[in-house]
Amino acid sequence: MPEFQWRWGEMPQYWRSFAEGLLVTAELSAIIIAGALLGGVVIGAMRYSKRRIFNWPATCFIEVFRNTPILVQVVWFFYAFPVLVGGQLEPFLAAVFGIGLNITAYSAEIFRGGIQSIERGQWEAGRAIGMGYFQVMRRIVLPVAVRRMIPAFANRMIEAVKATSLASTIAVADLMWQGEQLANAIYRPFEVYTAVAVIYFLAIYPLVLCTYGLERRFRIDEEVKL
Amino acid sequence: MSEPILRVNGLHKYFGDHHVLQGVDLEVRRGEMICMIGSSGSGKSTFLRCLNFMEYPSAGRIELQGRIIGKKSGTLHGAPTFSYQERELVQVRTHVGMVFQQFNLFPHMTVVENVMEGPVTVLGIGKEAAAERAKENLDKVGLLEKADQYPSRLSGGQQQRVAIARALAMKPDVMLFDEVTSSLDPELVGEVLNAMRDLSAEGMTMIVVTHELGFAYHLARQVLFLHDGVIHEQGTPDEVLKHPQQERTKGFLAGFTDFYF
Repeated sequence: MPEFQWRWGEMPQYWRSFAEGLLVTAELSAIIIAGALLGGVVIGAMRYSKRRIFNWPATCFIEVFRNTPILVQVVWFFYAFPVLVGGQLEPFLAAVFGIGLNITAYSAEIFRGGIQSIERGQWEAGRAIGMGYFQVMRRIVLPVAVRRMIPAFANRMIEAVKATSLASTIAVADLMWQGEQLANAIYRPFEVYTAVAVIYFLAIYPLVLCTYGLERRFRIDEEVKL
Repeated sequence: MSEPILRVNGLHKYFGDHHVLQGVDLEVRRGEMICMIGSSGSGKSTFLRCLNFMEYPSAGRIELQGRIIGKKSGTLHGAPTFSYQERELVQVRTHVGMVFQQFNLFPHMTVVENVMEGPVTVLGIGKEAAAERAKENLDKVGLLEKADQYPSRLSGGQQQRVAIARALAMKPDVMLFDEVTSSLDPELVGEVLNAMRDLSAEGMTMIVVTHELGFAYHLARQVLFLHDGVIHEQGTPDEVLKHPQQERTKGFLAGFTDFYF
């Protein structure tokens, strides 16, 4: 059996493909994260509500998108959704929906969980000094709840970045897709996919370090035994 | 006799089918301290929580400084029922302060910020004036030097005194104390009771749910013994605590073996 020849030296000349892919990955991630944070707050608040008109749709949304695989959602939005509404959905947009709605569902649960983690006594203490619902929420509940949510949110956002690689299955030209194209073109799957993995790692690891920092920071700041 | 500052007539409270308060009447005069005793489940905490509408009464009239709270909506067990507007209740709560068994300080604020929160956010007082007021009240409970600490750095007794200062900063007309020493280590109970004694000496109107019978005996104007949602016995500390007439009161007091006057 002929010995395998490493050809790492060829990789740098394809930097443009990797860079283009990384840029798309970054765009996709940014849009998904922004949307999921915003949507998560709204749907989380609806889920927290005691009114069924808010609570019920939010619960359905969360359960549907949390309990189906992201890959299935991506493919569904690309192939099935257009059949439902007529017309076409851009692959990029299908990926935003498929991945984004899943991340949104998780974010909503993080948000609701954070608010629910605040003891009833905090609400009562606020109300006892004459605060209304929104004053208690804004002044007492959210400042502490948001601190508690940050690590979980940060982790979910990292998951989001990794999940964007699934967009390659519907030909979104992200880092993973660029890797596949290149590997097929030059028949060097080992080097190419290793390079792709390393680039993902280098992009994501600093984010992870940030979450460690956030966790440390807020653990000290909260200074509480609640 | 002055007009009562707080008057309660026929107070009923249900939690589901559970009839917790079964028609309680009470009149509180300005500057008076009333202690409520009773076993757990007797409804004494629920009664207190109805007075500042942490719980809505199921029926019964509550009158604060001559003003009936809520809009009459019907009757239940012969007592009037009321519908309540949250806006009116928010107003009421600024006049009726409450201190809880769990101190419930706001963990993300320093001690002085905890005390300033109500005056600034609810009463709309400027920050400087509120800080001034907060410091006066912290001084009153002997914790001025802890003003810039976070609550987590304080002992339970200190936290509870901050909670008292926080309620006082609203300049309430009546203060409610709901078993405020029950979750404290025994050696920390005294400092909180002392702060309450001083407050009473200054003329604050107070309703105190407590298991500290010595405190009740020496400081209360009236003692109420609650049992099964009704006031079973009521009178001066001497009458209720030393010479109880009712069997249930005697039985309850017999449980306090370490209680000497």
